[in-house]
Amino acid sequence: MLQIDHLRKNYKAFSLDCSLRLLPGRVTGLIGQNGAGKTTTFKAILGLIQPDGGTIRIFGKDHRQFHAQDRQTLGVVLSDSGFSGYLTIQDLLPILKEFYSDFDEAFFLEQLQRFHLPLNKKIKEFSTGMKAKLNVIAATAHRAKLLILDEPTAGLDVVARDQLLDLLREYMAADEARSILISSHISSDLESLCDDLYMIHQGRIIFHEDTDVLLSDYALLKVSEAQYCKLDRRYILRQKKEHFGYCCLTNQKQYYLENYPALAIEKGTVDEVILMMIRGDVL
Amino acid sequence: MKGLLIKDLKLMKNQRNFFLLIVGVAVMMAISLENSTLVIGYLPFTCSLFTLSSISYDEYENGSAFLFSMPFSRKAYAVEKYSFGLLIAIASLGLATGITAMAGAFQQSGSITETIQIALMTLPAILLALALMIPFQFKFGGEKGRIAALGTVGLILIVYRQIKQLAEAWHLNLTALFEQFSALGYPAFLAAALLFSTLLLVLSCRISISILERKEF
Repeated sequence: MLQIDHLRKNYKAFSLDCSLRLLPGRVTGLIGQNGAGKTTTFKAILGLIQPDGGTIRIFGKDHRQFHAQDRQTLGVVLSDSGFSGYLTIQDLLPILKEFYSDFDEAFFLEQLQRFHLPLNKKIKEFSTGMKAKLNVIAATAHRAKLLILDEPTAGLDVVARDQLLDLLREYMAADEARSILISSHISSDLESLCDDLYMIHQGRIIFHEDTDVLLSDYALLKVSEAQYCKLDRRYILRQKKEHFGYCCLTNQKQYYLENYPALAIEKGTVDEVILMMIRGDVL
Repeated sequence: MKGLLIKDLKLMKNQRNFFLLIVGVAVMMAISLENSTLVIGYLPFTCSLFTLSSISYDEYENGSAFLFSMPFSRKAYAVEKYSFGLLIAIASLGLATGITAMAGAFQQSGSITETIQIALMTLPAILLALALMIPFQFKFGGEKGRIAALGTVGLILIVYRQIKQLAEAWHLNLTALFEQFSALGYPAFLAAALLFSTLLLVLSCRISISILERKEF
């Protein structure tokens, strides 16, 4: 579906070197701090910036051969950009119909009604949440094969976020060959939606795991100095000094549950794994 | 390209109060001024500037990034802007000619032929203005683009002055050359002006395509 190998982009104070793979029928999450390189990666995929090196293949096609008409197969949401604020949704209808041969007007209108979006109000007068809803609805309204979603749920309340995630689940359920590449700061969204997660930090992918594996096999071990000295550290990915001793991230929770029953072992969450991968020390 | 054209027409429709104001001012000018042909200069030039505004609207809140993720090429975008500019120029020129002709008929002054001749001679001037300003708008954006365009006009005037001085030093009379050219008669002069301005517009469009294809969003 999408394959990125050593995508490089250099700026004065930042350099990106990113590799990732998105398979058909999968929802892949890209997580990382602000400025980690998520948006740069998305923009390179969409041809909005010129990579300095590496390869991007979309549906098996090199991105330089991925022409304007091929973008009919993509649905896009960008975190810092959207439809012109000087237009109304009513204005967008003929434009989207003209741009996308598979634009489903009935679906689009139905979703607008579902999310209570007004047809005749200028988009610049929309709240952040309303803009986010419109962007996701538009991205899913032309039967795209691949959605590229950069922070699509930013600025939404819990209910609206849940509705949008449902919309994305419906999008995936309609065709098993579809895929989504999504970035978000809200880890609960990613936990419930993504099949696998990539973590990007300072322009490099530092972690990739299936979400199920992350939630079932990753754990935080809270150990005292004495427990730490006796601990088998072969399966410790990161450790961090704490006031009580050490906090250790492992991807072999069962091993420590069975062999160290006295340890305080907490289930790994996306947030905790992110924090430990970024702020913890490598052994 | 049709989708882009619809977008710009929708943007234009949403600014209808601005256009109504301009048309109102044009009508007032035609009624109150002795030389109502000034409307032919005022209305199309002011309306054609909306082409530049439409680029600013596309760029509003970094909208270009999202826009260029849609299924059209950067070349199509550039060509559409020139086509849109041309469309507005011709439509507003027609409207200005109509207003001027009607004002002339009411005031029983001027002739329709003269009005049409002035209108046709205004078209190359509008094309030249578009050819000059659109690439700067693409390269530098709204404010800086206008400053750069004005700077270029200044540069062109300086270059013209230098050429004139050089010609005088070589005992060439440029003024006589221009007089000879205008002696060709109105149709030939108009055809030459239209040809020259169209060629510059095509060249300008190619420059804009090149600017856009290198641009990052």
